[in-house]
Amino acid sequence: MKIAKISGGASLADPTASAWASVESVTVPLQPVPLDAQPTSYIREAWAGRSYGKTAQASVAAATDGQKLYVRLSWKDDERPNKEFQDAVAAVFPDGGGALGTLGDAEKPVAVWFWENGRSGGNSLTSHGPGVVRKDPGSGLAAAGELAGGSWNVVFGGPLAAARSGRVGVAVWNGSNDERGGLAAVSRDWVSLEQA
Amino acid sequence: MSTNGTGTVSTGSGQLAWVFDLNKCIGCQTCSVACKVLWTRESGEEQQWWCSVNTQPGLGTPKGWESMGGGIDVATGKPRAGHQPTREEFGGGWDFNYYEVFYGGTAGKAHLEPQAPRENRWAMNWDEDQGAGEWPNSYYFYLPRICNHCTNPVCVSACPTGALVKQEDGLVLRDEDVCMGDRFCMEACPYKKIYFNYERHVAQQCIGCFPRIEAGVAPACVRQCPGRAVFIGRLSDEDSPVHKLVNEWKVALPMHAEYGTRPNVYYVPPMSPARLKEDMSIDTENPRIPNEYLESLFGPDVHTALGTLKSEMEKVRGGGKSEILSTLIAYHWTELLGPFTQDPAELTPVS
Repeated sequence: MKIAKISGGASLADPTASAWASVESVTVPLQPVPLDAQPTSYIREAWAGRSYGKTAQASVAAATDGQKLYVRLSWKDDERPNKEFQDAVAAVFPDGGGALGTLGDAEKPVAVWFWENGRSGGNSLTSHGPGVVRKDPGSGLAAAGELAGGSWNVVFGGPLAAARSGRVGVAVWNGSNDERGGLAAVSRDWVSLEQA
Repeated sequence: MSTNGTGTVSTGSGQLAWVFDLNKCIGCQTCSVACKVLWTRESGEEQQWWCSVNTQPGLGTPKGWESMGGGIDVATGKPRAGHQPTREEFGGGWDFNYYEVFYGGTAGKAHLEPQAPRENRWAMNWDEDQGAGEWPNSYYFYLPRICNHCTNPVCVSACPTGALVKQEDGLVLRDEDVCMGDRFCMEACPYKKIYFNYERHVAQQCIGCFPRIEAGVAPACVRQCPGRAVFIGRLSDEDSPVHKLVNEWKVALPMHAEYGTRPNVYYVPPMSPARLKEDMSIDTENPRIPNEYLESLFGPDVHTALGTLKSEMEKVRGGGKSEILSTLIAYHWTELLGPFTQDPAELTPVS
């Protein structure tokens, strides 16, 4: 997938901006983070009989204004909202060499740009496994999301250096199903990021 | 409350434990309010009562907490799935119609009431003093509750980010900079004493007043109790009333030990008057508070504990002396405070 070069970064930060209509997007299948990879015995026991990570697919697009990398993630979600847990999404980068399917591990992390409905901005995280995350303060990451017509569109705007690895993955949390931490649907494979 | 960046704070070593004497708790909620004004006054903490006094029998806080699961299966050692209490189940934290009542020109018509749907109303002490039983044998007693700072804290082991730490002093503390607000701790805690701050997106619970402990000051719930009903100390300190009441005399018991987390808050079970029979004669065989109910809370050892208390009282009535009763009476209130007798008024406040 090519990173589209578009002037005027401010409009790219808007998930509904018309500029995104001309940007190539790729639809990727998602699969649940395996239960046996979940980091605590409580989570493994409590979720043994519950399904999670059912979001089947998401689309990803990337663009740059020469200053920042913008990643737009979209997926269908027509379930009624949950009062306790919110829908969330992440763009995942293999910076630490970690595996996408488990969102990294103890030795090899992945870098995560995380957005959650109802909370302002985005969080830059280092993930050492499903839900095993640390916040990276001062990352200069921005994020905005909008739900329209039963679909979420979320745009991250962060350092262009995130594209250096040349790959990006997607993780989606369905808040209606109490999904959080490592209880997510993750793209099966990395999507290539190529400079246009 | 963040820890000191190393993930731990220092208040000495040896498990800290609390003993609440339910025969002395008068349900005044002074402990609850002392804790509230000290720790949970900020926006986002309106529904949080790290210390709360429930009326038993009752649904308590959060509503129906004893049926919400969590804890550890004692037979298998595995954690049990639990329910995460919701805002509605904790209840309270409402806005009130102050403006309407005081400035709305509705004198005599409007009255103060919560601005929340009537059918969903619940709060920390919503079923206070309701209890159970039928006159003349109705009954209730008060049950103060804080985080149990469990020896086997399932909240700690449930957390994926390692935000919770069981310290050397036995306190279970949370590094809020590490907490991601996933709330597995709230599900796993069988006592449902962990709250969620929806504004700051972190879970929060009783911190054992560790900054006070560090300065030699007893926790607010202990120091402020007007009924001299609560002790704090280290279980390993053989001179501590806590050690004696729990380990030596065995008149203070953990609540719901079957939850498997080995709580460190102990209770002296409530004694009660004899029941009245239908002809209003005294039923000396049966106390007003059913033994079965107390056993459901404090386990089968409650009968021995109550028997000990009863025999000690009879001993004193007969002119004898009882170290157990003298300890529980706490003639000198500093006896309740363990080694934490520092007067906070003599300390320089920390901003």
